[in-house]
Amino acid sequence: MIVAEQKSLDEIKTLIGDAERVLVVGCGTCVTVCFAGGAREAAIVAASLRMATKLDGNGKDVTDVTAQRQCEWEYLDEIAEQIDQADVVLSLGCGIGVQAIAEHFPNKWVVPGLNTSFMGLPTEQGVWAERCAACGDCVLGLTGGICPIARCSKSLLNGPCGGSEGGHCEINPDIPCAWQLIYDRLSAMGKLDLLMEIQPPKNWKTARDGGPRKIVRNDLRLNAEEE
Amino acid sequence: MAHIQDLLAAIGLEPERARMFNMSAAMASAFVAAAQEMAGQIARLGPSPLRDPLDTSTDSERGE
Repeated sequence: MIVAEQKSLDEIKTLIGDAERVLVVGCGTCVTVCFAGGAREAAIVAASLRMATKLDGNGKDVTDVTAQRQCEWEYLDEIAEQIDQADVVLSLGCGIGVQAIAEHFPNKWVVPGLNTSFMGLPTEQGVWAERCAACGDCVLGLTGGICPIARCSKSLLNGPCGGSEGGHCEINPDIPCAWQLIYDRLSAMGKLDLLMEIQPPKNWKTARDGGPRKIVRNDLRLNAEEE
Repeated sequence: MAHIQDLLAAIGLEPERARMFNMSAAMASAFVAAAQEMAGQIARLGPSPLRDPLDTSTDSERGE
């Protein structure tokens, strides 16, 4: 899932500025399950803003609504009426949701209520950890299902480095050394031979280094033949 | 509860307006003590600044 954290109420108030009618838009997908921007959080942020702005002496009309997925047009169409009535939209979606609203409603001012953090999973209740860096050229088949790009602080393809100490990373002792994890798992699976092959430098063109990315599937496009 | 108190502080309200007491349904005296402690706390803090000082209606009359 995409994992995010809420911005502080002070920052949100600054982003909203002088707008009178504020619509807080939650998202029913990733940010719901990481407790950052679902329907419940949208209602809490809206209530907090109503109270905080009233105490500040400029009480605002703050309402909330939640789209099933902010990152798809059809779900945004369902809340178009509420968005139309707002002076500013506070999106509690990830950065994709904020941009989807801005793109779909070009005349509407949209601000983010979250800081989008990473793609990861909950390792225990209340703890999320990064697992994928979306490099566009997955190497998990070589590393026993443990990503050296996202989980090694140096994104090494032939680790570990000299900073691996007692199974932990020199960057932060709270971070397990990804290459220690990879070695342990391959050892347990009887596949240490995978480590004997030196991996060549990675082609980062498929990652962000190649610029903004796009996937086109002509087999799925409705008007591919017309173009 | 710590999260709620942080949220109240961010809003501009006193965090001590909200507290949680844990007890079983059989602990009547503990319940009374907690209720009295909380009532005293709220009395010391005074009315909620969110309430209009000229509004004398009760919570139930306002539908709260």
